[in-house]
Amino acid sequence: MKAIKRRSRALVPMVVLALVIAACGGDTDDTTTTAGEATTTAAEATTTVAAETTTSAGDTTTSAAAAGDAVEIAAGDSITATFLPKCTNIAVFPQANSGAEEAAAELGSDPAEFVGPADCGDTTGQIEFMTNAVTQGVDAIMLSNNSGDQLDAPAQAAADAGIPVVTWDSPIPSATGESVFVAQVDFDETGQVMADMARSILGDDGGQFAILSATPDAANQNAWIAAMEEVIAGPDYANLELVETVYGNDVAEDSVTAALGLVDSHPDLELIMAPTTVGIVAAAQAMTQEGLCETIKVSGLGLPEEMAPYVESGCAPEFALWSFVDLGYLAYYVAYGIATEQIAAEEGTTFVAGRMGEYEITADPTRDAGLRVLMGPFSVYNAENPGT
Amino acid sequence: MRDWASKHRWESLLLVVLLATILVNVSLSPFYLGFGNFVNLFWLSIEKVIVVVVMTFVIINGEIDLSVASVMGFSAAVTATLYDGGQVPFALAIVIGITAGAIAGLLQGLVITRFGLPSLVVTLAGLIGFRGAARVLLEDRSVGDFPEWFESIGQRTLVGPFPVALILFFVGLALAWVILERSAFGRKVYVIGNSADVARFSGIEVGSVKLRLFIASGTVAGLAGILFAARVGAVQGTLGETYELDIITMVLLGGVSIFGGSGSMLGVVLALFTVLNIRNGLGLANIDGITQTGVIGLLLIGSVLVPNLAQKYRLRRPRAEAVAHGPP
Repeated sequence: MKAIKRRSRALVPMVVLALVIAACGGDTDDTTTTAGEATTTAAEATTTVAAETTTSAGDTTTSAAAAGDAVEIAAGDSITATFLPKCTNIAVFPQANSGAEEAAAELGSDPAEFVGPADCGDTTGQIEFMTNAVTQGVDAIMLSNNSGDQLDAPAQAAADAGIPVVTWDSPIPSATGESVFVAQVDFDETGQVMADMARSILGDDGGQFAILSATPDAANQNAWIAAMEEVIAGPDYANLELVETVYGNDVAEDSVTAALGLVDSHPDLELIMAPTTVGIVAAAQAMTQEGLCETIKVSGLGLPEEMAPYVESGCAPEFALWSFVDLGYLAYYVAYGIATEQIAAEEGTTFVAGRMGEYEITADPTRDAGLRVLMGPFSVYNAENPGT
Repeated sequence: MRDWASKHRWESLLLVVLLATILVNVSLSPFYLGFGNFVNLFWLSIEKVIVVVVMTFVIINGEIDLSVASVMGFSAAVTATLYDGGQVPFALAIVIGITAGAIAGLLQGLVITRFGLPSLVVTLAGLIGFRGAARVLLEDRSVGDFPEWFESIGQRTLVGPFPVALILFFVGLALAWVILERSAFGRKVYVIGNSADVARFSGIEVGSVKLRLFIASGTVAGLAGILFAARVGAVQGTLGETYELDIITMVLLGGVSIFGGSGSMLGVVLALFTVLNIRNGLGLANIDGITQTGVIGLLLIGSVLVPNLAQKYRLRRPRAEAVAHGPP
């Protein structure tokens, strides 16, 4: 008894240290892409892709306002700004930041500080970075919200301090403290595009599919899923059956586990739809490793460079995305315009954002409150248009 | 002054580190020195620092509670589930949530004291079990839209610039200091931590003291979970995940021996100030989260290594000074 006690005491510091060290090495990606096993399926898959690649993308029209009123956002004073993504370790966010840096260079401003939590599920981390930005008294904050309404209080604190909060990628659902949301695409259209890809992959006889999302709270993903559910409720999509929505928290391992869980619990599953660049790669990787690509296809929103091997193998015949570089670029122009008082964050404002052209600030039709600048359009990628 | 420093080697070292941190922060960022930032620095980690206070007791007593972060999540999940069901008034749901934390502590304490199992194993099981329970209750949902008054507890200020949770922490800290270093109960905690056998022979009710500490730990963790929910405005099954590491880090850095029996509230408070100031300073200097965690990890390894090396050095010289144990 005594001996056990003593030994267990000696264990304590070791276990504690091990736990802490494990936590410090929290960098989890490094997804090794294992393709190439499914060589026989490639030919088959390309034919199915070629047969049906009709998706409704690209009908986003930007600003119908009179061209003469548009304010051309011009270079002026250098501003200090914080560019705060959902997390820093997912490929799309550094891409967005490179767009913001490009815009800052054009506008003669110092680049924004690119800071954020390491983990996309870390809401309290975002609260901390947001609070620090307010303490620093930056001129503007550009935010991709990784939660629901949890950022209301710090965003309101920023607004109270006179700091414009321009959201991009993922808005603050209630629009509390938010100046304007720079939307990548129309959120309802995302639902339409995903439903169309599902129909195109599953074919006329339809079938069962499941959704593998990011975090349960993510404002953008939740809006897209809701929009997709609305679309597939229509008669044209009657034979598509959504069996379950699961969450991989934008972490590679969690997403693989969630994808494999779907396979186990739904024997008739034919498609995994992942509206997140992390989830779609993880699902494609899991299906490839398990040799399930023949029966279960993967689609959703993905980065062409990450998805190329799976398009080739036929595991992911079709997916969509927009340019994150452009999104960061536009977000910086909007934030700079508001911070330097060249444009006002109000309905009807039109402006020209450098190389991307003219945009208008409108009420956000996909939320109860808030303003929106709509970027668009979607790009749909497949074997014919791999995007790389 | 020199007398105090020689009696409180670790605390003196921490004070130096803290002052150095503050100086570096001031030079790194012009925004650091401000009252608002001082409040924010606590406010952003308030749930952790509240649990640190009670963890100090547990570790000095020669035990450990790895389950605190999971109990935080469990209590918050119980409250959120009851509230979400719409049947229970929210205030009652909070009371039940905190009680659930207390019961979690009681159960673990009973297993530890009655069956003589090591707390490391029992609370490791608790870490897994109560996190599992929280996730079963909430699944993938996020419960929010709490009443206005509740969110204002976490987000708005009560007296001057101080949020409610911050006031709670300082009151709790003062109370804890008195209990640990000025009461008979506190004495017993140290004696048991030094040697449970000696304590037993001296007629100290070892099991009862330990049990009370685990109940306190569960209750405070439950309260911290509720305060977390109030600050952030939403509860998920993952609430507070991995916080036990930060909490234990701060206690150990405070000079509390992982083997029990020694350490002081002053040391822990200094450690807590140091960690919060390092995080805050790195944050204001726009240094990312991964690096921040790395720096704190290095600090912990140092805090375990330095006293051990110092002791070895002292033991090698025959005329060793007595190693200071216990409070002043």
